[in-house]
Amino acid sequence: MDTKDQFNPPEAIMPDTGAIPISPDITNPAQSLDLPAPLAIDEKKLQKPPVSPFRESLQRLRRDKRAMISIGIIAFFVVVAIFGPFIYQHVDAPPYTSHVDGNTYPATVYRSYYHSELDRQDELPSNQYWLGTNEIGQDILARLMQGILVSLAVAVVVEVMDIVLGILIGVLAGYFGGWIDQLLARFTDLMFAFPGLLFVILLTGIFGTSADSFFSHIPVIGPNGNARLLLVSLALAFTIWPLMARYVRGQTLQLKEQQFIEAARTSGTTSVRIILRHIIPNLFSIVVVAATLDISNTIIGEAGISLLGLGVQAPGSSLGLMIADGSQFVNTHPWEVLVPSITLAIIVLTFSFFGDGLRDAFDPRSKD
Amino acid sequence: MAENLLEVSNLKTYFFTRAGVVKAVDDVSFTIQPGETLGVVGESGCGKSVTALSVMRLVATPPGKITGDILFNGDNIMDKNMDELTELRGSKISMIFQDPMTSLNPVFTIGYQIAETVKRHRKDMSKDQAWKRAVEMLDLVRIPDAKRRARNYPHEFSGGMRQRVMIAIALACNPQLLIADEPTTALDVTIQAQVLELMKGLSKEFGTAVMLITHDLGVVAGTCEYVNVMYAGHIVESAPVKQIFETPAHPYTVGLLHSIPRLDDQRGIRLTPIGGQPPDLLNPPPGCPYAPRCPKVQARCRQERPELKPVGRGEQVAACFYPD
Amino acid sequence: MIQFLIKRFIGLIFVVIGVTFITFIMGYFAPGDPIAFMLGQHFTTAQYDNLRHIYGLDLPWYQQYFNFLKNLVNLNFGLSYEIKGRAVIDILRDGVPISLELGLWALFLQVIIGVPVGIFSALKANTWIDTTNQGIVLFMYAIPSFVLAVFAQVIIIALDQGTGINWPVSQWGTPWQYSWSDIQFKLVPILVYAAIGIAYFARLSRTTMLEVLRQDYVRTARAKGMRERVVIYRHALRNAMIPLVTVIGVSVGFLVTGAFFIEQIFNIPGIADITIASISSRDYPVIQATTVMLAIAVVLANLVSDILYTIVDPRIKLA
Repeated sequence: MDTKDQFNPPEAIMPDTGAIPISPDITNPAQSLDLPAPLAIDEKKLQKPPVSPFRESLQRLRRDKRAMISIGIIAFFVVVAIFGPFIYQHVDAPPYTSHVDGNTYPATVYRSYYHSELDRQDELPSNQYWLGTNEIGQDILARLMQGILVSLAVAVVVEVMDIVLGILIGVLAGYFGGWIDQLLARFTDLMFAFPGLLFVILLTGIFGTSADSFFSHIPVIGPNGNARLLLVSLALAFTIWPLMARYVRGQTLQLKEQQFIEAARTSGTTSVRIILRHIIPNLFSIVVVAATLDISNTIIGEAGISLLGLGVQAPGSSLGLMIADGSQFVNTHPWEVLVPSITLAIIVLTFSFFGDGLRDAFDPRSKD
Repeated sequence: MAENLLEVSNLKTYFFTRAGVVKAVDDVSFTIQPGETLGVVGESGCGKSVTALSVMRLVATPPGKITGDILFNGDNIMDKNMDELTELRGSKISMIFQDPMTSLNPVFTIGYQIAETVKRHRKDMSKDQAWKRAVEMLDLVRIPDAKRRARNYPHEFSGGMRQRVMIAIALACNPQLLIADEPTTALDVTIQAQVLELMKGLSKEFGTAVMLITHDLGVVAGTCEYVNVMYAGHIVESAPVKQIFETPAHPYTVGLLHSIPRLDDQRGIRLTPIGGQPPDLLNPPPGCPYAPRCPKVQARCRQERPELKPVGRGEQVAACFYPD
Repeated sequence: MIQFLIKRFIGLIFVVIGVTFITFIMGYFAPGDPIAFMLGQHFTTAQYDNLRHIYGLDLPWYQQYFNFLKNLVNLNFGLSYEIKGRAVIDILRDGVPISLELGLWALFLQVIIGVPVGIFSALKANTWIDTTNQGIVLFMYAIPSFVLAVFAQVIIIALDQGTGINWPVSQWGTPWQYSWSDIQFKLVPILVYAAIGIAYFARLSRTTMLEVLRQDYVRTARAKGMRERVVIYRHALRNAMIPLVTVIGVSVGFLVTGAFFIEQIFNIPGIADITIASISSRDYPVIQATTVMLAIAVVLANLVSDILYTIVDPRIKLA
């Protein structure tokens, strides 16, 4: 799962049926034929103020329709995850009297992700339950929104750790070399030796239940089967930061050799200042692109772990857990498994497109 | 004289791109006699390489389009289909390219790469005979220990030796015309001389005509009999080599000669570069393409395009209004 | 060549030690007392000590680790924590041929389908064929295997209901047998399992092929008068294959992760499935065994791909 993104498809060359393509770059024909670029002076360009590379990249990003749509969809999911439950619990939501225990519940309860009404199993969408119910009478829409929230929350937590550790260790290894670099190399090799989610499965498999009891008293995260998410997040972060550190290290090495760094050094700037002022800001593009793709993988990872029963526990919800539960009834009630599956697919594809868009915007050379 | 070996008439190679039409070769005509060495000079982007590729029809034809006539031994190459073309290439007309480091396939031995050409065009030869011929060719291009080295891979050879291998491949089937696109540009100066000398010697020995493309006038001086000077997709002057150097007619040729140092220059003479910018092939201005930079420009030059007409003595022709 | 192998082998040993050590340590610090668990409600101290001794848990940790390693070499993965004295290898034994069958077929298909699709895309670059291929491949690559599995199941069920055929959506046939019934069980899981690898190879081979087609030596081949088919399938392809050989390790890595999801969704009793079941019954030695086996499989795959790389690329010289 780590080296998936090393190879980017280039801009395709023109096809032909028997002659030699002279690597035509369609947008700059002169370049392809070893001709000088047409030097017709662009008056307009001369009048615009010079733009920093960062701004230029942002402009490129803004123009990329695919990326912009992706951002929109991600924003939509974030809003749904955070505000969705509140809205859902207050729109067209009269109190409901349960036939199971006779109590009357407000919508904040019966449209929560953990509440179940055992006589309302496997229902299709209705006024009361907008996406229907699952096999133990839980509200699918509520669980879906909770699942999205879990995915995004885990992604954020893991990514923060990924970026912090990745930049910290990567820069130190790249800039100073020596034993830190060696250590990083050994450590990376080790983490790569555990293919994919194996390490996470191992960790959550063995320490999962103790994590449940250990973290269960933490407010918000603890109850309702979410306690294990902290362990899952730690395990996922542990597996993905080495790759980020490798990218950062590589970029640091490249930057280190550049003349402006040498200039800074000769003028007496301390290493710390150099790192903070010159190196880290230039890591932006590579970190952002890698982080987006890591987020995609993390979301899949969390869903996968929960699917195997090692992540969020009942009555909590995760997209993976919903898929696992629903897949048992794919014969009779395919609705229950399709809803979380399609949602997960959309989220993942969106992050994928966004990552591609980011990469094209910040590193257009990689299109070649 | 005998029939022309190669007769190019009104060759135009345009590239149709999103940005517009690039007229890389814009109405070029010339001939090559059997056994003759023709030099084609010009700066980067003047269309000399594209002309060469067009003769072999090695240009990518979706963006590119070739029109005109290319008569080789009387047959029009433009009329040939793919099968006939592949028969022609490598056996009657061969080409070698600029960068020897990347022109050879890294995963095949050089012996194989030579033998492959032989086997392709000489159906009568067996694998062993083809290999033998490959070794012969390596000897011919003066690769030491040819028999053993035929089993080596390209990365085990230096740049100069790889270019010799390219020559070996090109001459393996005894072509009538060898097109050499800047064959020595990527080599060290001393190696350059060796490779040029080799080419000259072999072409004399086998009667191969050579179309030598280069931007280096020094190379032309040592090896060619005739010279075409190209600018912005046109031939602006064409003459026997001596006349090009002694009595250049076109202002561009004059400018080129003045911008390089000569052994017989006096000390203290300044080099005069050609002012102005390289031509825009997407939107060429009307008239003579050199007009924007020409020190002898007249009003007429900007409106009419001059045709090649005889100047000076003998066979020299130039496309200019100046001598008028 | 021998020196190279030895160097790589030593690297392999280090990785194996690292993986086994981590796996062992996790098991060592695992919560709960398996001995007490196995003995049930009432037991004497003597029984406790005795069982503990059989399991070697009364030894210091480094001794335990050493024994762990020693046993590994003999393919002895220790004893189960769930059933007194039962060997882990017995528990996993039935799952191995199934997972192996799944995995090998998937690997095979990844290459056989993925590479030609990629090459074809490259040859038809920028046409609608290419764009469509790219789209499908992106879909197969980005979407997790368990989601693809669910979609496949839903489609099959819909087809079953629509046309009355009875294609199964779960379970496995007889290992390594291929009657029609077996094929019905196995075809879809194998395809879904291979999907991500197919997409990966398709993307990679398209990229490398396009890269190769731009190279000067392809132009030289045409200038020599070689027919287009020869240029593409002999000169270009041979070079494009080289990077593909180096990613065998990566694709085996995909298979390892995918095994857990595919076996789960399709209800296939392979080692991944058995392992997950063992986790819920706290039978940690099983997960340790599976982890070590799978990690070693990936390391070996990487070794194979390194060796193949030196064989297919004449530019790589072994010291």
